[in-house]
Amino acid sequence: MQITMFQAVLIALWTGVCLAGMLLGIYTNRCLVMATGVGLILGDPVTGLAMGAVGELAFMGYGVSQGGSIPPNHMGPGIVGAIMAITAGVSVETALALSIPFAVGFQFVLTATYTFATTLTGAATRALEKKNFRMFRLAANLTVWVFFIVGCLIGLAAALSASGLEAVINLIPAWLSTGLTVAGKMLPAVGFAMILNVMAKKELIPFVLLGYVLVSYLGLGTMAVAITATAVALIVFFNQNKGGVAAEDEEVVFEDGI
Amino acid sequence: MASNVLTKSDYIKTSLRAYFIQNGFNYGNYQGLGYANMLYPALRKMYKDDDDALQAALQENLDFYNTNIHFVPFITSLHLVMLENGTPNSEIRNIKMALMGPLAGIGDSLSQFVLAPLLGTIGASLAYEGLMMGPIIYLLGMNIVLLLVKLMSGMLGYNLGTSIIGTLTSQIEKISRVASMIGVTVIAGLAVSFVKITTPIQYVASVPGGGEQVVSLQSMIDAIAPNLLPCLFVGLVFYLIKVKKWTTVKLVCMTILLGILLSVLHLVA
Repeated sequence: MQITMFQAVLIALWTGVCLAGMLLGIYTNRCLVMATGVGLILGDPVTGLAMGAVGELAFMGYGVSQGGSIPPNHMGPGIVGAIMAITAGVSVETALALSIPFAVGFQFVLTATYTFATTLTGAATRALEKKNFRMFRLAANLTVWVFFIVGCLIGLAAALSASGLEAVINLIPAWLSTGLTVAGKMLPAVGFAMILNVMAKKELIPFVLLGYVLVSYLGLGTMAVAITATAVALIVFFNQNKGGVAAEDEEVVFEDGI
Repeated sequence: MASNVLTKSDYIKTSLRAYFIQNGFNYGNYQGLGYANMLYPALRKMYKDDDDALQAALQENLDFYNTNIHFVPFITSLHLVMLENGTPNSEIRNIKMALMGPLAGIGDSLSQFVLAPLLGTIGASLAYEGLMMGPIIYLLGMNIVLLLVKLMSGMLGYNLGTSIIGTLTSQIEKISRVASMIGVTVIAGLAVSFVKITTPIQYVASVPGGGEQVVSLQSMIDAIAPNLLPCLFVGLVFYLIKVKKWTTVKLVCMTILLGILLSVLHLVA
């Protein structure tokens, strides 16, 4: 499938908006959102949604910066992965595995972008010294515009190189392609393990088991799992409160006794 | 010193300007520039014609700042209340700096580690079934909750003053505890269904009486526990993160190489 110039421009703008949303804190810079947009632009929302889902789960833990290491960026699967899955027709799992080098590379681009933005925002301090408040306010918003432009460039480059990507993907031998699909199906484990690492404390182990049983044995859907978990969490929560109040009461009685 | 110039709507407006606090993000003062920019309209109103005072007030707030962008309205509201009451600048600065760390901790754990994974997994599993509702629920859910957090924390700072930080912390800890129970359940469930590892290994067993039967290893594993292989692999990665402190890139590379290797050896399909 060929990407038209019009579609390439739309993908560029969409990537720019999504990346700028990272600074605004509106969660557009996530794989699920970006890949869905690419799918809609290229007229294949179903593949876009599937790519977004697989990438979001695999990359869920990567928003979390872990001790200075640079996590792969959601634009990898969200933009490049979605384009590969739609135009080259590879499975979303293969596209996920193939988009990892881009995801790592984009994060370095972003670090460079922050550094570049730092040189520009110094203008705000200088403007303030001259009491040029208009310039101050302009400079105080420069980083977000730089991010928008960098996002546009990344999106445009990804869209325009789609046929090149397709040619490269077609060169991949069958055994490697199968291997990448297997790897793509295993990749969400990294994201899940990372997010469990920050969320899970010892007291939450019962809920890990509960989730496993509800899905693996009972085959419940996500909403059903969430509602069941809410019920159990509330039971635990209310009982904990009761326990706390009772303990306090006992303490008071004890003190009265003395 | 100006006083009682600001109305409630100025506080709401400043709270909503939390969306812009990272618009000037830089490695020099992080959100410092954004913090001053967030206060700008309110300060302009307080120091109407006094450009010198406005300049001084803005320059005082250019210091390094880095906190959670959804809870920062609590700090800016307190800041403005104290300014209007004529609190000395050094005291305002102390409170502002003291709140930075705790609110970053509470806010990041609530938004990044609880809310985003919870709505992200629900949204992704709906999207996987081809439902456009998935990303919509995710995006709307995140933004509605975080908008309410901004407005409520801004109003809390306006209404209650400095004594409230302890109560706020305990309230949010309660909410966060319930939410992480739900989140962990959903994530654990999805981890074993989205990570797909099955083995095609089969062997031929001779049945008593002379016949032969093909036994697949996968059906034996399923009989022990469904999704056992994904569980073990997630457990392995968890161990590598927690105990061996592997980086993300290392984990991803290991997974891809392992996947290709196992596939080539026909151990996993």
